[in-house]
Amino acid sequence: MHWRNSDIMIETDVLVIGAGPSGSIAAKYAALGGANVILIDKKSEIGSPKRCAEGVSKEGLKFLGIEPQPIWAVKEIEGIRLVAPDGTDVWLNDEIKLPEAGYILERKVFDKHMAMDAGRAGAEIKIKTLAKSLKKEGDHYIVSCESMGKEFDIKTKILIGADGPESHIGRWAGLKTGTKPKDMESGVQFEMCNVKMKNHSVLEFYFGSVAPGGYVWIFPKGEDIANVGLGIIQTETDKTAYEYLVDFVESCPATKDAKIVELNVGGDPVGGLVKDLSSDNILIVGDAAGQVHPLTGGGIINGMTCGMFAGEVAAKSIKNGDYSQKQLSEYDKRCKYLLEDKMNKYLKVRDYLASLSDDELNSIAATFQDVEFEEISAVELVKKLVKISPKALLKLGKLF
Amino acid sequence: MIVRDWCMYCGECAGVCPRNLILLKETELVFDDSKCRECNICIEICPVNALEK
Repeated sequence: MHWRNSDIMIETDVLVIGAGPSGSIAAKYAALGGANVILIDKKSEIGSPKRCAEGVSKEGLKFLGIEPQPIWAVKEIEGIRLVAPDGTDVWLNDEIKLPEAGYILERKVFDKHMAMDAGRAGAEIKIKTLAKSLKKEGDHYIVSCESMGKEFDIKTKILIGADGPESHIGRWAGLKTGTKPKDMESGVQFEMCNVKMKNHSVLEFYFGSVAPGGYVWIFPKGEDIANVGLGIIQTETDKTAYEYLVDFVESCPATKDAKIVELNVGGDPVGGLVKDLSSDNILIVGDAAGQVHPLTGGGIINGMTCGMFAGEVAAKSIKNGDYSQKQLSEYDKRCKYLLEDKMNKYLKVRDYLASLSDDELNSIAATFQDVEFEEISAVELVKKLVKISPKALLKLGKLF
Repeated sequence: MIVRDWCMYCGECAGVCPRNLILLKETELVFDDSKCRECNICIEICPVNALEK
């Protein structure tokens, strides 16, 4: 990061860097709370290209007060199917309660709508605007930006880093963002048509050596369309995530005749919450803050919920004229209350699942055939796993 | 660093660079080579094998 002063200086109360769902909702709530807000994104189109399998829970959207719109909530999900390496499958659907049922989104549309919500709440939006460096000066940050060949600085009382897995903003400000390779899921996904699922309203997950350190997903998007992707821990193998996906798609009955219409790639930080989520004049949200479920890799609802907290806390700080870490630490407290215990548990589950061989997974799936699930959730799955597997009981029994 | 033409500009390399030396513009990766200690983490993590020294 090389600091360069520019002749043009724009002043604001709150600058949000990154217009993903977490950044946009932070901008929205900061603006609703009365702050002057600028939301910048380096891309020319918010939400594109997607870096995501696009699954989201109904409960989560409801909590955020977001009414599902058919234009971006493209498919309702009724259950899940888990598939072991030998093909033994476990279904969680039909008669079971559905606390984690949800939607598959069209992220390119959803992200734009979330940014529009921020704009309508009063935030100024600047697309194709890159934050190149920043410096702390007195009681504010100055961020050096570049947009369409023009350079300018933005002077802000509070900076919100929502810059995704790249997480430069936090690191430039001295926070410990950035992800270790062992905690970064390398994700690759094809959007495909002609996908032949056994049930086109169910999320499918494939475990084992098809995706070391992660899993393969098939998330239906309506008709014969689905996101088919996987995440792996790249340090555990010499093969690339892309090569794993090509191999999977060729061998899986659901996808071997499917046609690829889109390729998506991206990292997913699954190592848990970043230790400090704020400092004087700065907050970090979303993937940049590690607000991702360590087991599923899902991060939209967690990131947006924390984004909402960040916006509220930023607006309150502006009102009080106090942008110190002490004032902003309310944000850390709210995020940690929501996520910390849950995440620490699932970090252990992730380690445990990654330690299982294909044979062990097959045997768990076989035993699961006679198990009755009471609800469709990760908690329920782990609880039942602890009941049937002595090894799981030993590693996870105390936690669940 | 050589960025091969099938790079998807996903930024995963930027997220794992321990020295925070990789900046992703929309369709360009900028490496601060002067501070690179050649740990090769960016090369190894790339999901599509697009980086080469």
